[in-house]
Amino acid sequence: MAVKAFSNEWAKEFKDEVNRSSVYKTAAKGWKWTVGLVVEAEPDKHFPEAKGIVMDLFDGEARDVTVGPASEAQKCDFVITAPYSRWKEVATKQLDATRGMLQGKLKLKGDLPTIVRYTKASQEMTECTTRVPVEWPDEK
Amino acid sequence: MARRKVKPKLDVDSRAEVGYADDEPSAFASMLGGLIEANIRTRPEKARDFESLVARVGIFVTDIHEGVTLDFKGGNLVVHNGLKPRRTLTIRTDAETVMSLSNLKIGPFGLPVYYDAVGRGVATKLLRGKLKIDGLLPNVMTLNTVTRIFSVQ
Repeated sequence: MAVKAFSNEWAKEFKDEVNRSSVYKTAAKGWKWTVGLVVEAEPDKHFPEAKGIVMDLFDGEARDVTVGPASEAQKCDFVITAPYSRWKEVATKQLDATRGMLQGKLKLKGDLPTIVRYTKASQEMTECTTRVPVEWPDEK
Repeated sequence: MARRKVKPKLDVDSRAEVGYADDEPSAFASMLGGLIEANIRTRPEKARDFESLVARVGIFVTDIHEGVTLDFKGGNLVVHNGLKPRRTLTIRTDAETVMSLSNLKIGPFGLPVYYDAVGRGVATKLLRGKLKIDGLLPNVMTLNTVTRIFSVQ
């Protein structure tokens, strides 16, 4: 059943999906930093307020994924920021996250060598988002 | 002519500098420049390679149609948006392979490792023509040095 985009239910489904992934478990061995996703508001797409997703990731496991204000996500070790519609493109496989970062469509803050070292883990995490059925506010 | 912005000097080697030729470096230029800057700041062996390298290296990402030119000048690097003339080497490949190149392990004698999973993936792309390197044959040593500076491993 589809869950509302970037809701608490979505966060739970996403966390479960990450923890089901053996690819992520292997690729993210040694990862010990928090990751924040900032979803910028797009009122014309029925996404009126920015949201922040805080991911507590440790050694191949998603310990917690929570949705809250953007300011919380901005405190994480790594922060990826994009407007709502860009994140939707990523989650629906219309935009590859690696390409998005190289093109500046997804803005990354954090230690570059570390994130590059874990490219495979971040690609698999993106794959996990595509496996969560989502109800998009601009498609109602 | 584009104005050159030079960032503050780095910790490991006071002469090392990474700057940008364009007023608004592209996201790709900022990412590569930032990656190299972080590498040479934290890894003395990479800083030594950076000090010695004089070459103009182009990298063109085929699936986003964006390129940069890395102009290494023996302890200084100027990153240009786009491919500029008189390049020593030009690497043309997709975004995923650019990430793989920066994940190549460095083995004995400072040579990139092509026998592990990442290295085999890169070698396969080279053999299948999905990774093209113009100017490779006369500049193998330069490519190895660039790879060492660029690698996060």
